[in-house]
Amino acid sequence: MTWVGQRLPRLEDPRLLAGRGRYTDDVDIPGLLHAAIVRSPVPHGELLGIDASEVDVPGAVVLGPDELNAACSGRIPVVWHMPGDFQRDHPVVDTRVRFVGEPVAVVVAADRYQAEDAAERVLVEVDDLPSVVDTREALAPGAPLLYAERPDNVMSRWDTGDSAEHTAAVFAAAERTVSFRLDLGRVAGSPMEPRGIVAVPEPDGRLTVWTSTQAPHAVRDTLASVTGLPQHRIRVVAPDVGGGFGLKDHLYEDELMACLAALHLGRPVKWVEDRYETLVATHQARGETVDVEVAFDLDGRLRGLHVRAFRNAGAYLAHFGGGPLFTLAGMVPESYTWDAVRTEATVVATNTTPTGSYRGFGQTQAVFVCERAVEVVARELGVDPVDIRLRNMIRPEQQPYATRCAPITYDNGDYGAALLRAREIASAWPEPPDDGRLRGLGYASYVHMAGVGPSQGNPHVGLDVGSWESAIARMEPDGTVRLFVGTSPQGQGHATTFVQLAADRLGVDVADVELVHSDTDRSPYSAYGTAASRSIAVGGGAVVQATSALADRLRRIAAEMLEAAPADIVLGGRRATVAGTNVSLTIAEVARRAWQGWALPEGDEMPGLECRFAYDPEQYTFSFGTHVCRVAVDPTTGIVDVERYGVVLDCGTVVNPTIVEGQVHGGVAQGLGAALLEEIVVDGDGQPRTTTFLDYLLPVSASVPDIEVVLTETPSPYTPGGMKGMGEGGTNGSFACVANAVAAALPADAVRDLATPLTPSRVWHLLHGRG
Amino acid sequence: MTATDHRRVELTVNGAPLAVEVEGRTLLSDALRHGAGLTGTHVACEQGACGACTVVLDGRAVRSCLMLAVQAEGTEVRTVEGLADGASLHAVQEAMHRNHGLQCGFCTPGIVMSLVAAAEAGCTIDDAVDEVLGGHLCRCTGYVNIRAAVADAWAVLDGGEEDR
Repeated sequence: MTWVGQRLPRLEDPRLLAGRGRYTDDVDIPGLLHAAIVRSPVPHGELLGIDASEVDVPGAVVLGPDELNAACSGRIPVVWHMPGDFQRDHPVVDTRVRFVGEPVAVVVAADRYQAEDAAERVLVEVDDLPSVVDTREALAPGAPLLYAERPDNVMSRWDTGDSAEHTAAVFAAAERTVSFRLDLGRVAGSPMEPRGIVAVPEPDGRLTVWTSTQAPHAVRDTLASVTGLPQHRIRVVAPDVGGGFGLKDHLYEDELMACLAALHLGRPVKWVEDRYETLVATHQARGETVDVEVAFDLDGRLRGLHVRAFRNAGAYLAHFGGGPLFTLAGMVPESYTWDAVRTEATVVATNTTPTGSYRGFGQTQAVFVCERAVEVVARELGVDPVDIRLRNMIRPEQQPYATRCAPITYDNGDYGAALLRAREIASAWPEPPDDGRLRGLGYASYVHMAGVGPSQGNPHVGLDVGSWESAIARMEPDGTVRLFVGTSPQGQGHATTFVQLAADRLGVDVADVELVHSDTDRSPYSAYGTAASRSIAVGGGAVVQATSALADRLRRIAAEMLEAAPADIVLGGRRATVAGTNVSLTIAEVARRAWQGWALPEGDEMPGLECRFAYDPEQYTFSFGTHVCRVAVDPTTGIVDVERYGVVLDCGTVVNPTIVEGQVHGGVAQGLGAALLEEIVVDGDGQPRTTTFLDYLLPVSASVPDIEVVLTETPSPYTPGGMKGMGEGGTNGSFACVANAVAAALPADAVRDLATPLTPSRVWHLLHGRG
Repeated sequence: MTATDHRRVELTVNGAPLAVEVEGRTLLSDALRHGAGLTGTHVACEQGACGACTVVLDGRAVRSCLMLAVQAEGTEVRTVEGLADGASLHAVQEAMHRNHGLQCGFCTPGIVMSLVAAAEAGCTIDDAVDEVLGGHLCRCTGYVNIRAAVADAWAVLDGGEEDR
């Protein structure tokens, strides 16, 4: 049987459904102590120290800034450097606090309640400084400055794409231009499981760390460089992880503090953040301000796209630095041919929570900018926005297509076919009732650069870590298989899809294969872990290579045992069979011979049955598709209802359609949330105002309609197995699609400039004006 | 008693008697997770907003992060660990599995417990989707496949009743 392509129900489900998952807070260790974090109550100030003299909890231990910094021999790194960056790392506690919620001390006590009691009695001593939270205000002359090194709060600034001269010439030659501004609301990725960590100093001097992370090796590497422990003395395990979405891609300062406390005390220490902490201290995302200028001809030909994008970095650069803005700038041409594309990018420091990785990582923003541009042009010309798209889309025969943002070259695909299929979906929707609400139909076509990625290119873009993956396939003497991988899932279903890939190559049942992951003592190295839509495209490629190599070995040994040619051996149904005959052995019989170690084929005599393969892709994969939705806007309240939703997606070879559709559904919900509901609000004094799920509104069931998903398959020319990454694509498409639909329901003049989320209040004001 | 006074609480959990030593302020969720070791009940917000910590108490779905353990004295509590009959999952759990109604699995036990309580109370499928699922947050699935699972589970449970 062929497993790839099957709608196999997930193998990891029964345990999770029975309440027998094991998440970080479920880890219990004898003698465990519990930590609480002391955080800055002010957005900006010189940190003088802490006063713990009022702490009256028996046995509580407080480690303040001095003790924490003294315990560190290194600093927390930023691994992606933009041109002109000055910040390459930061200390566990700096001499200044720069956002409300910044961790400054850790308290350890016998249980979490007592640790919080003690933390409440620790006074943070700060000399207040003036603060600034808004990107444009931070750039204005005379703004409060966050870093002495930067007289303008600019963390980095660069250009991507065409030169200013070329861009100006294209704009001058075009028949019309239009400009508008987009303000993207700041969002919190909000996995349902908060971050958490359990640090266990072992009797032999090793440190074991259980943590809710997407990247166990990245956590280990940072822990080693900061604590001075060598990497081989640290074991990091990600148990079940309750969602990540990019937020859990590195070690945070507060997590480090719990580890430092454990090392200091020689006792196991657990820290799990509460939801308030998630909403103020876990890295946030988006919040860009983008000025867009589009040049076009009266026949609908798109000529030039000029983008000035400002990213609010918050208090310091997160793990991947200005990467999201770099990615926005690189992918903003999206599905279209242009004569000029130029982005001027600026990363700005403010007294807010740092912004970092979140599903989409700049590509959600790129689609939004480009697809708003297309819709604005269509309305300026009074033509169907689908026709504008079709007229300008990259055609299959132009692939591989080198975009104007070198070195990005798309691989393959028929973008126009996906758009037309989406239009078919929408044309089948029944007419809406005449209920006084305004209807808008919105599209968003996108190309998704998925699967970071070819390591050889990383140094050229300032990325300091490799992004290859490896897999080790080991067949045990009884013919069962353990598959060791570096990627580290948080709900994506790897224990099912990777096993499907392996079972096909090895001719065994999925029940015969077990995936081993997320443990630095057992799983192969991965600097990235599971993020950037890379697991199936890069990790899956490694799985295909390693299991194919193992299958070759099985065929050679079976051929030796059956006195046949290796090329004539067919693996399937747990048997190795000589093609066209009924002569066969069980896979287990072949495996047993490999482990016995005798009578192995000449030239292939190494006993045992284990193959390792490291896969560093030659190129990124580019999945693509079009989203379409219809919204109803209540003109009296401004409430938006997403009534219908359709997705056409091509992500190459589909390993498990059910899992791909699930990723699309969840991605759509997150983009829809950011378009309509979700917004982190910080007041003018730098105080966060959205600190519960009653203020920060996630989509609920009623927010998300059923979603029609059509999957087409244009296999990647690069990935072994043909897969392309897709996990972020749902979000990339839906944010723009929903916003476009709302805009289409409103008067053109009201929606040229747009701010998200499109809350009832914002929509009402777009309809009725400010007055 | 004060918030930090200790007290022994006796209740029935998944059909078996349980006695835990708690402080007055100890949440039911913490008593179940860390006192009784029933870590299938998850805590995601401690604000009563997300529903991940839902258990069934005397037949009603309650948020165990909004109750003190001492308030559960003498009650009968069911958690996700008590649903399966040996290796055989409850119809709601089976439907979630068949319909890919879970991804990371963190919100899942709370949703399952709410749906089980609703099914047992004779709730209609529309109410199960609109009112019961409407009280839960899930960040992975977009709810689409959870709604499919509700429809599937209700069909199975209704069919089962007709058979009787």
